[in-house]
Amino acid sequence: MKRILLAILFLGTFANAQNTSIEKDSSDVVLDEVMIIAVKNKMKTDIKKTISVDEFLASSDNISFIKRGAYAWEPLLNNMSTERSAITIDGMHVFGACTDKMDPVTSYVESNNLSDIDIKSGQEGSINGATVAGSIDLKRKRTSFGLGKTWHGTYQTGLEFNNKQLFNLGNVSYSSDKLVADGSMSYRKAENYTDGNGDEVNHSQYEKFNTSLGIAYKTTDLSSVRIDAIFDKAKDVGYPALPMDLSLSRALITSVTYKQFFKNKLIKVWDTKLYFNAVEHYMDDTTRPENLVHMDMPGWSTTYGLLSKVNLKKENYSSEIQINAYNNLSIAEMRMYPQDRSETTMFAYSWPWVTTRYAGLSMSNLWNISEKSQLNFGGTLGVNYNFSKYAEFNWIFHPGASQEKTRFLPNLYANYQFKSGVFNSSFGGGYGHRAPSVSEGYGYYIYNSFDRYDYIGNPDLENEISYEANASAGFKNKKGGLQAQVNYFYIQNYIIGKILSQGSPMNYQSVGVKGYTSLDHATLFNLTMHANYSILENLHWKGTLTYARGLDENKNNLPFIRPLSYQTSLHYSYQNLGFLTSFHGDLKQIDYSPEYGEDETPSYTNWNISADYTFYIKNYKTVFQVGAENIFNEYYSTYADWGNIPRMGRNIFTSLKIDL
Amino acid sequence: MKRLHFVVIVIFVLVTSCTLEKTDYEAELSTETTEYIEFEEVTSITSGDYIISIEALNATLYKGYNEIHLNIINTQTNVSLQDKDVTFLPIVTDANGNKSSCPHAYNLEYNATEGYYLGYAVFTSESDTTISWQLYIDFQEGSQSYKVDQSITVEKQTNMNLNMTAFTGNDNEQYFIALVSPQSPGVAENDLVAGIYKYNQPTSSEGTFPDPSQYAYSVVQDYTLLLDPRMPEASMGNHSSPNNQDLTMENDGLYHGVVNYTMTGNWTLNFIFQNEKGETLKGTEVSTEFTPGIEGAKSDLYIDILF
Repeated sequence: MKRILLAILFLGTFANAQNTSIEKDSSDVVLDEVMIIAVKNKMKTDIKKTISVDEFLASSDNISFIKRGAYAWEPLLNNMSTERSAITIDGMHVFGACTDKMDPVTSYVESNNLSDIDIKSGQEGSINGATVAGSIDLKRKRTSFGLGKTWHGTYQTGLEFNNKQLFNLGNVSYSSDKLVADGSMSYRKAENYTDGNGDEVNHSQYEKFNTSLGIAYKTTDLSSVRIDAIFDKAKDVGYPALPMDLSLSRALITSVTYKQFFKNKLIKVWDTKLYFNAVEHYMDDTTRPENLVHMDMPGWSTTYGLLSKVNLKKENYSSEIQINAYNNLSIAEMRMYPQDRSETTMFAYSWPWVTTRYAGLSMSNLWNISEKSQLNFGGTLGVNYNFSKYAEFNWIFHPGASQEKTRFLPNLYANYQFKSGVFNSSFGGGYGHRAPSVSEGYGYYIYNSFDRYDYIGNPDLENEISYEANASAGFKNKKGGLQAQVNYFYIQNYIIGKILSQGSPMNYQSVGVKGYTSLDHATLFNLTMHANYSILENLHWKGTLTYARGLDENKNNLPFIRPLSYQTSLHYSYQNLGFLTSFHGDLKQIDYSPEYGEDETPSYTNWNISADYTFYIKNYKTVFQVGAENIFNEYYSTYADWGNIPRMGRNIFTSLKIDL
Repeated sequence: MKRLHFVVIVIFVLVTSCTLEKTDYEAELSTETTEYIEFEEVTSITSGDYIISIEALNATLYKGYNEIHLNIINTQTNVSLQDKDVTFLPIVTDANGNKSSCPHAYNLEYNATEGYYLGYAVFTSESDTTISWQLYIDFQEGSQSYKVDQSITVEKQTNMNLNMTAFTGNDNEQYFIALVSPQSPGVAENDLVAGIYKYNQPTSSEGTFPDPSQYAYSVVQDYTLLLDPRMPEASMGNHSSPNNQDLTMENDGLYHGVVNYTMTGNWTLNFIFQNEKGETLKGTEVSTEFTPGIEGAKSDLYIDILF
């Protein structure tokens, strides 16, 4: 049934794509441009034209990944895990439904329904919700009103040979003066991948279907209403680093937005959004007959919220004021089956129906002091409320802990930027609180297969408080540029798992019980160097170097801190042809953290190469690309590969993209 | 065309939007256990002008601990008998005709607010074709004394949270431990209540049957019951829970402690029974090792529960 529907949709896409017309000059539609900012599609990397969301995120300097397999990588921003960053879709809060972080929010979107990913480092990201590391906002793709070419479509397909991944991504958009619609659909299916030794990595397959729809209607000349929906479904996803896989995960992400513009007023635009999303996630271990205990571990996460913001502008000063409120209910169950199935099953909640309510009022300001300098500053005052319906689960380890808890979360930042000729520099600071996540506060026997401990949350953990300083300096001319960025976080009450002397493991693979505990403090330092140079008009070089160090209160290393890493690439274009080659890798992880289950990870280097060719089929721009990743077929795993699972070996990929 | 897209997507979402049912936790807790709160009449005995109504939870007497309420009413005046000496003695006869009793309150206590006589009995076996239970109740009204007896049926206790055990301690005394509460535990801290009794060896030879001196039991005073709860399922690898408290005696004559159950299922309460000097009378320490796939060894003294 689903296949048929899919086919119908694709046929529709092709049929619609026939109606093309001449593109209108964009200057005619200034207001429309503002109304729905038509962002150019940035969802591609240097090496690949058609990518997954994870691959795109990986191209950002600030992002590294914890990988539990080939699918749904957990993005680490500034080397901090997802609890510390605010991950949103168009400002909407979505929370994964898996206690083992098998479904970061980024796994519920697809590259062809996004236009860009907005990454803000540190407290600047607090406008999207209380954070320490920063924010990752996934921007939906939006077409402007009144584009001359009413129908537009894109179709991308490709094959990755290593894991036989076949993907088909289709997009269609319609634009008229009154009505705009964007639709997308995608399907990916991959088999197990093969590592550098030529061995198949079992349980690394996946299957993902994603579709999205957005319809906007101009209610007056200065206002519009927009409805958006994303539906995502992943099936039969293997997690080689975990003792269980995923049988099904599903997300429905919806919103209604009303936008009002004002002419010649201090207020420029008022944008209000109501949203609702529901995520369900069903883990499955029937694929792992070696497991001693059969377990069902379903999880659900439902969120609704409100986002309302006004943009003000007067002369050299602009400001955004935002109200952000949401309610989330997270539920996760575990049911263990005894060997003798006639015996009673054993049941417990790993998230005992935890409600999180957050409301925040935030403001971000930009003041252009002079042509050379500007000041960014802002802050948020948030209230965070938690309620655990079955608090008796939490009381087992923390007798008398609060069933409900209200926290005030202030966040502040300022950043000064200065530009003079070819030089630029900036410095800034921030201060902010975050509340413990659902797992950190209320998690109950959440098995972590990395350090092999069962984790217990503590409802009365203190807020994590971050003091942050950042600076950058750079140089840029016509031929190239050099940019260096540093940031330093001093985080009070840093939350991390510590071995508990009480209790005994529940999961049979586990070696003990850890409780989320606040360290007195931890510090994190990140450095990024970026250089680019145009050797010839059509020959460009780029290089990036990152270094990070994280220490706890006793100057021991924090886990999941990326060792010195580098990336260098050379791009050459000739007429319709483009060639790219890149090297990237990490040095040996010297500063690993044995206390938190890490071992030393050796260095690795990957060499990638790709070539693309642009041509026209009946006026339709077509790009064909072929390339190879990990050409050396190196056997490696990175510092953040869960359980040291090996990464993919040599992978040849092809893709074809047609603009219709 | 656009409308078609919309319709197709809506249909698609509707078709696929059925979800796995969430567990009804309250129902989950009551699958194996039922909690009874109401005392209802088990049986009634008429003696002269008096009718004696015996009440217990769920109108049933079970193997193990039973709280017993007696209402004694004068059928002529319809007035209940207040604050008199009422004695209560259960006697069991086995297949060989041997008679014995079980821990019980011999002198019942009058509860003036509720208007009943309060007692208990820890029945040590279920009634069947060879085992029969008989209750002997005596009371005095004025100069008239009443003696009644009634055969009763002791049912199997299906709620394992009210299990009991009987054993002989190192001191050669006969002891009985019976769980009283919780009837329906949760994945939580549970107040664990148990009654601990011993058989008083008779010092004189038997008089006229039923001679209460031959069938005397008493509440064990100020001993300690050390607790170590574990899951017996092999795959649970001898799993235990934190923050448990040993059982000590409180004013109500029962022993109170705290047991934490980290999940539903089978649990074993491993005990070590110590006298007021801290000498162990029964029970062995169990391993605290986590041994996935291997069932943990139980103490010499334990009670299995299930919820």
